[in-house]
Order: sequence, then structure tokens, then C-alpha cells
Amino acid sequence: MRVFLLCLLLSVLPAAAHAAIVQQDVRPGIPANAEYLAGARDKPAVLLLHGFLQTREFATVTSLASGLQDAGYTVLSPTLSLNIPNRRQSLPCEAVHKHSMDDDVAEIGLWVDWLKSQGYRSIVLVGHSFGSLQLLAYLTTHADPAVKAYLGVSLIEAQIGAGSRQALIAQLEDRIQNKQRDLVTQSLSFCQKYISTPQALLSYVQWDQPHVLAALRQIPVRVKLIMGDADSTLGQGWLTALRHIRVPMVVVHGASHFLDGEHEFDLLNYMLQFLETIPQGTPR
Amino acid sequence: MRWPNAISIKQIALAFITALMVLASLIGGFAAYQTRAVTQSLEQHNENAARSELTSAVQRLLKRTDEQAASLAHWDETRQQLVLPEYYAYWRDQRVYESGILPNRLVQAALYTRSGVLLALSSAQTDMPVRLPVRAMSRQPSSWMTGEAGRTAMYETFPIYIDERRQSLLGYGLLRLDFMPALLRQEPFHFADLASIRLTLKPGEVLPVSDLFSRLEFSARPDPDRLRFQKILSHMLLALFILLMVAALVGFVVYNRLLVRPLRRLSKDIDAMQHGRFSHHPSRSRALRVRELENVRRSLYEYQLQLRELHGSLEHQNREFHSQARQDALTRCHNRRAYEEDWENFRCEVKHSPQGVAFLLFDCDRFKTINDTYGHAKGDRVLTIIADALVMALRANDRLYRLGGDEFATFLSRTTPAQAKQIAQRCQSLLDASAFSDLGINEPVGISIGIAFCEADQLERIDDLPKQADIAMYTAKQPGRTRVALYGEDTERASQALVASRETSALFQALAEPGMIEMHYQSIHAMPGAKVVYFEALARIRHRDELILPDAFLPVINSRRLEAEFDLAVLNQVDADLLSEQLPPGIGVSINLSAQSISHPEIVSQLLELSRHNARHPLMLEITETSLITQMVEVRTYLDLLRTVNYRIAMDDFGTGYSPVRYLVDLPVDVVKFDISLVNKLGQDDRAGQVVADFARMMSDAGYSLVAEGVETRSVLHKVEHLGIAHVQGYLLSRPVPLAEAAASLVARTGGAARVA
Repeated sequence: MRVFLLCLLLSVLPAAAHAAIVQQDVRPGIPANAEYLAGARDKPAVLLLHGFLQTREFATVTSLASGLQDAGYTVLSPTLSLNIPNRRQSLPCEAVHKHSMDDDVAEIGLWVDWLKSQGYRSIVLVGHSFGSLQLLAYLTTHADPAVKAYLGVSLIEAQIGAGSRQALIAQLEDRIQNKQRDLVTQSLSFCQKYISTPQALLSYVQWDQPHVLAALRQIPVRVKLIMGDADSTLGQGWLTALRHIRVPMVVVHGASHFLDGEHEFDLLNYMLQFLETIPQGTPR
Repeated sequence: MRWPNAISIKQIALAFITALMVLASLIGGFAAYQTRAVTQSLEQHNENAARSELTSAVQRLLKRTDEQAASLAHWDETRQQLVLPEYYAYWRDQRVYESGILPNRLVQAALYTRSGVLLALSSAQTDMPVRLPVRAMSRQPSSWMTGEAGRTAMYETFPIYIDERRQSLLGYGLLRLDFMPALLRQEPFHFADLASIRLTLKPGEVLPVSDLFSRLEFSARPDPDRLRFQKILSHMLLALFILLMVAALVGFVVYNRLLVRPLRRLSKDIDAMQHGRFSHHPSRSRALRVRELENVRRSLYEYQLQLRELHGSLEHQNREFHSQARQDALTRCHNRRAYEEDWENFRCEVKHSPQGVAFLLFDCDRFKTINDTYGHAKGDRVLTIIADALVMALRANDRLYRLGGDEFATFLSRTTPAQAKQIAQRCQSLLDASAFSDLGINEPVGISIGIAFCEADQLERIDDLPKQADIAMYTAKQPGRTRVALYGEDTERASQALVASRETSALFQALAEPGMIEMHYQSIHAMPGAKVVYFEALARIRHRDELILPDAFLPVINSRRLEAEFDLAVLNQVDADLLSEQLPPGIGVSINLSAQSISHPEIVSQLLELSRHNARHPLMLEITETSLITQMVEVRTYLDLLRTVNYRIAMDDFGTGYSPVRYLVDLPVDVVKFDISLVNKLGQDDRAGQVVADFARMMSDAGYSLVAEGVETRSVLHKVEHLGIAHVQGYLLSRPVPLAEAAASLVARTGGAARVA
């Protein structure tokens, strides 16, 4: 893996002193970039992932990154390429979505590796919304000792709207089996018309609530969820289900899906409280 | 310098109105010119605005295309297609438009590999080039125009990099615009005319965008504000012009009513006044609206009134003068002037309305005797009574004219000879009834009336009526007649005698043909010794070798009033005789003239001509005392004139006339010729003879040279000699003989022939 450190900007200000844009090819011809905020070496590094089709410039992500950096934590906030070279913008629902959950997980792995290459042995994966799901998917397939914990904010399953998930999965599997490459339009997450290849879509559609709950129970790292009880995007009974599996979870009263506004501070406090409990790995 | 003819105020008004209209037209033309200049300026401004608008639109289009190119170059999905072009067609046909990067299908996008090959060749767009031109594969966006089957396409290529720093080229993008629709659909054009915007390129022709403006054709859209401005201004100018025309027309009418018409009326009034026409038209007393004109009108009106009064007064006086000039001061009847005017008018009238016309001539019998006997005052009273009686006797519309002396006349229209005679007799009756005895006149006073009549179908003879009436009047005066004579009826016998006689015929022939009058000369002898000193020229008419004596033709001369013509013929003959120089020098010639002839200018002129013989032959004029000399002053004047050329004046037939003593007193008489009747008295030894003798002696003592006429006997001759009368004439001494004979006898006498003793 070839890593490019394009720019490392140091300044006299502490917050900006360790900020840099990191770029690396996630696939051939498809570079991706991440913002790297260097923190204290004695604290765990945080890999902060944005939500569905968003970028690291998403407000919730940037505020969390800023808060964590201020607290002395190293933060790496990548923008998933979604198979777009150096993606800089949120990808519209109507764009051609050829990326899959596997691609996303692979890119997360690359960024974990990059952190590790930077000497971090205690990494906490923090995701927001669908990014939490993508990190969870990563954790289900990658057992990296350096990854110490997982913090999911507004964790959500891959919602497909009112249709039958089983029927959709069957249809997609059928298309894949028949090598039909025509683009499919499907409701996914907040997209009413999500344009995608059958295979890519299937990789996301499989992550329904049971699949998520199972993954939460399965992953080998410390887990913490921060949810808002006023999150309208969550499926009915999702918080109940989460509580049912006894996953560590903080439900912020009155907070929406983005835990913005006054709840940003709650979110950051809960996050910092969780991070403080994470043991520091031995740096190389 | 000659001034042009005066022009009327109406012409001035018309000229003023015309000048006003011309001025208005000039101003209108100037305004139109200025409007045109402004319009042209606006048009230029409009064209500039259109050019600027079009330039801006093109620049905006180019900029927008640049922006679209930049957007595409930076768009994640663009890069996605360059690395994963499996769904390139979807991107190309939907995503670029759905995303809003390209506004519509007029703009198309295509992606090319780093080597300039079009992506997804299998689903290539037909409009897009398969390979990019080499010139377009640069690191900077590149644009050009191409003509394509009647359309103009604009292309812009742009490089697409993976990274922000443009270090790693991923491929190229190409935008294609259907230029004209894209340009025109951008936004509405306010100044440039859409239909006129044109960019014509030949098929396959490539035009750099930098040269685009030089090939772009357009025209400015008509500026609605300018058109509205032009329309408003033209309407305003038209309205102003019409308003001015109407104002000029109204002004002209008002001017005409207030000034021209009153002035013309005043001018006509003044002209009428100049020509003496005064009419009191009601409009003249109506007040005028203009104060100054009203003052003029009022002054003129008052002046006209005064002038009319003055004119009336003058007219009245004129009528008075006219009436007086036509009225006889004595008798109050019309005078000779009125007669001449009325007669002329009457002649003209009756020629247009034929009718029977009678001319009446009145003459008082023996008026001279009455006048001489009772004096002029009584004579005038007699004339007045006669005139009153005649006026009373005439019909209401008949006029009486006093022609002179005691002669009156009138002419009657629509009458007959019987009616005329009846009127004449009524005149006689009224005059007979008049009381002349109140004047102390005991003898009867009567008038003789001559009537001439002309039938309606004989009006060509109307001019002869006065002379015919005169002849009739003389006929009426003849003794034994009824004193009323109608020409042609009562004068028939006398006229027939006169006209039909040989003598009368000879007289008229003699007057017409010179040479028929033959002068016979009777000697006048100086006493004692009986020396011939004068010859009295006596007229004879030689007709067909016969000699007609004065007794035969003198009545015709008198009755026809031919005295002047006859005397003129006599003078001509005497002139011819004297020119023949048959008479020896120193022998005088005495010529008889009627009193009427003396006042005739032609006679006087001939006498003056004849006076050239005075040096050789002393000339003497004999005025017959028996003829009435009515114009005494005039006759005296002529006689004085003739005396200055050495004529001697002799009073002929003295003692037989009307007023012998008065004539001697009033006229410049040198010689008195005693009538033969007086001379014969001398032969009688009675008292009458004594009176004549004493009178002759007295005359001689008074310085008059006396001639005794009609001496036929020796006793009378002795008596004459005894009385001291210097000259004698008569058959005793010689009879009138032709000139040659008289000259021969004179030679015989001077040669010692028989002497009268």
C-alpha cells in the first residue's frame, strides 16, 4: 500500500499544529483522503467515520474531530471514496453507486493500517450513523489488536423503506446470478432513489437490524453506543432492541439523529468519558 | 423709388397667417430635425446597447460554459466515470442534467481519456468528436466554434485531474453547445433583435472563440421607448400644427371680423362718401368691437351725417341754382336753356315711344311798340300776364318756355293737330280775357301762335318742328288771319306760293351754288355836284338768264330765317367783285346786312376778312332800322369791332322802323339813310315835310352824315340839297346796275359825261 503524505501543515497553534490531509489509493486509480489531526501519543487514536454518502466535512464529524483533538486525541477522519477518485463532495443518491459495503470495509482497514503505520496501537473506531454500521461491518471481519474499542453514534441499520427486504435481496441475488448489470433504483437509508448496481446494493441491504444486533454481540472490542431518543430516522423499536442485547449505550434525551445543537456537548462528553476508559496501547 | 400698389389689410392678415404657418412649419421642421437627430442618437445608443447586450450575453455564455466546464472538472461523478465508465451513458445523459451542472440538452458533455479518446465508444454521441483535437488537449480549457449542417456548435474542452493540485491528469471533458439557441435562451434580450442575431459558419469551418464577435451579426431591436417617444412627439407636433392651423384660422376669422370687415366697411363708406353716395345702412350705426375702430366709425358716421346735411344743403342750393338757371326771371316760366335741354330730351324720348307731337310758338303782336310806348316796366308786366295766361291754358304737364323777348314756345306730347289748335285757341281766349287795361294799356294785346305738328310715324321730321312753327307763326301774323296757324294747313297757300315759286327755288339754289347771286350797284352821290362816292351793293339772283329782284325772295328769306346764310353769300359775292378791281380806287361800297346777321359770328368773321379792301374801297355797312334789334349790346359790340377795321355804319331805311332815336343813341352809327318815304315828304310843303326837314337838319347838326334815299324827282333833289343833306341816292341819279356797267358809267362820269344838276 502506498501511502502519500501530501501535506503536513504545522502551525504555532496547537489545534492546527498537527493537522494534515492524508491521501492514499484505496483501489487502483482511486485515491482517497483523510484528515489527520495528530494528538497526544499517550492517548488512543480515533478513526472518525462520516455517515452515508457524506464526507469528513460533515458538520457532526468536523465538530467531533475538533472536540476530540482539543481533548488531545489523535483523530483521523477519512472520506470514503465510494469508488470516486479523491471524492470531495457528498455523493448524491441519484449518482451511480458502484461502491459496496466490502469496498467501504476495505478502505476502513486501509485507514486503520495507516494509523498503525503511524505508530498507534490503541485505536478507537468512532462512526456516525451509517458510518457506525460500516465500522461495525469492518469489526465483524477484521480482528485487529490495535483496535481497542468501537463507539457508534446514532447507529442505524441499512434501511430500505417499506418494501420487503427478503424479496429485495432475492431480486438482487437473482440479478447478480443472471449477470444483469443494469442499475437498480432502490430506497436506501435516507435516499428514496438510490441508484446502484445489484451487487453493491445487496452488500448494504443485508445489514438489517438483526444483522446489526448480531454483529454488536459478536465484535471483540469494547462497544459503546450513543443514541438520541428523538432520532426520527431510527426504525421502530431499535433502541429497545439495542437495550435488549444489553449493549453499552447512552441515550441522549431529546437528541436527534445528528446530536447537534446543545447535544453536541453531551455527545462529546460521553465520547470522552468512553475514550478515557480505553487503555493506551504501547507505541512502537 | 416706386412703391408697390397698396395692399389690403386682408392681404396683410393672409401674409401674417402665412408667415405664421411658415414659421410654425420651420419650427416643426426644426423640431422634426432635432427629433430625428435625437432618434438617430437613440438608435445609435440602442445599437450600442444591443452590441453591449449581445457581447455581455456571449461573455456570460462563455463564462457559464467555463463554469460548467469547471464544475464538471471538479465534480466527483466526472472523475468516477473516468475510472469506472461502465455507466457513463447514464452519467452523460442524465446525471449531468439532473445534478444541475448542465442546464439543458442544448449543452452536451462528453469525457475523453488522457489520450483524447471518447469514453464508451459504443454509446458514443453522434455530435461529439470521437477524438479530441490535439490543440484541445492542453492543461487549460480551450474553446472553438464549428459550423455543422446549418448550425453552429461551440466546443470547450477542459482537463480533469484527480487531485486538487492538478498534478495527475485523469482525462478530458468536452462541452458542446448549440451556440445560437444556447445564447438566445439565456435570458431575454432587451436591445438586440433576436431574429437578427446570426453567426454563419461554413460546414466544417472552425472559428476560435476570440474571433466570435467579429462574425456575429445582429441588429438592434426597435426601442419601444424611442418609438413611443417618436410617436408622442410626432403626435404632439401634428397636434401642435393642427392647433396652430386652427388657431390661425380662428385668428384669421376673428381678425377678419374685428378688423378687416369693419375696416373694409369703413373704407367702402369713405369711398361712397368720396363719390357722394350716402346711404344710411343700419349696420353703420352698429358699434364696433375694437375701440379705436369704433372711434373712427363714430367719427366717420358723424362726419357722414354732417356731410350729408351739407350735401343736402348743397343739393338743395344746386337745385335752386339749376331751377333758377332754367327759369326766366321775369315770367317765372322756363327759359331758353331749359327749352334747349328739354327739347333735346323730348326728342330722344319720343323717338323711343312714338307719339303725336306739336310744337307751339307764341309771339306777342306789336310788343315792341307797346314796350316803346308804355315803357319797359309795363312791357315786362305784359309779358308776365301773357306767360301766366299761357301757363294756365296749357295742360298740366306742358311747360312754357320764354325763348327771348316776347317769344314763347311749348311742345305737346301725345296730341293731335286738333288738340294743339284747341290749346292754342284756349291760350288766345285766356289772353283776350286778361285785363291789360289795369296796366293802362287800352289797345288790344294779342299773340300770334304758330303750330307745327308731327305724326307718330313721322318723327324723323321732329327736328323741323321749331322752324315750321316759326313759319306758321309768321303766317299767323299776316293781316287778316286768325292769329293761330298750323303749319302745313294754314301755311299751305303761302308755303305753296313760296316753295313752288321760281324765286324761292332760285333762292335755295343760289344759297347752295356760289355765283348765282349777282350784285347790282347803285351809286350814292355827294352833293352838290353829284359826285359818285359810294355804290350800294344790292343783291339779285340770276336764274336761268332771268334776274330775280329782292321783292321776290326777301319774304322767303325772312319767312325761312335765312338772313345769315343769304348775307354770307352776298358778302362772298361782294368780295369777289372787289377782287375783280373793276371799281376804281377810292369809290366806296355799301353793303346791306340784316340785324340778325350782325350778331352772327360767321358774318362778323367774313366782314373782318372783307375789311382788307378798305384801303382801296371804303366799306360801309347798312343796318336796316326796320328790323328789330333784340340783342342791342351784342350788336353794338360787333359794330364797334367792325369800326376798328374802318367800316362805317349806316342806319338804313331810317324813319320806317321801331325806335329810330334809340338806335341812334345805342348804336355807333356814322351815316343815316333817310327812307324814301321820309324823303318823299320833303316834296310836300306841308307840316310833315317841315318836320322831316327840321329833323334832317338836326341830325346833320349832330354830326351824322345823311343820305337821302329814293330821290326820284328833281324837286326832291332840290329839297335835299336845300336841307344840306350831303348824299343822295335814287333812280333820278342812277338805277342799280351790274358791276361792269356801274364801273363803265363811273368812267363815263369821270370822263366829263353828263352831270346831274
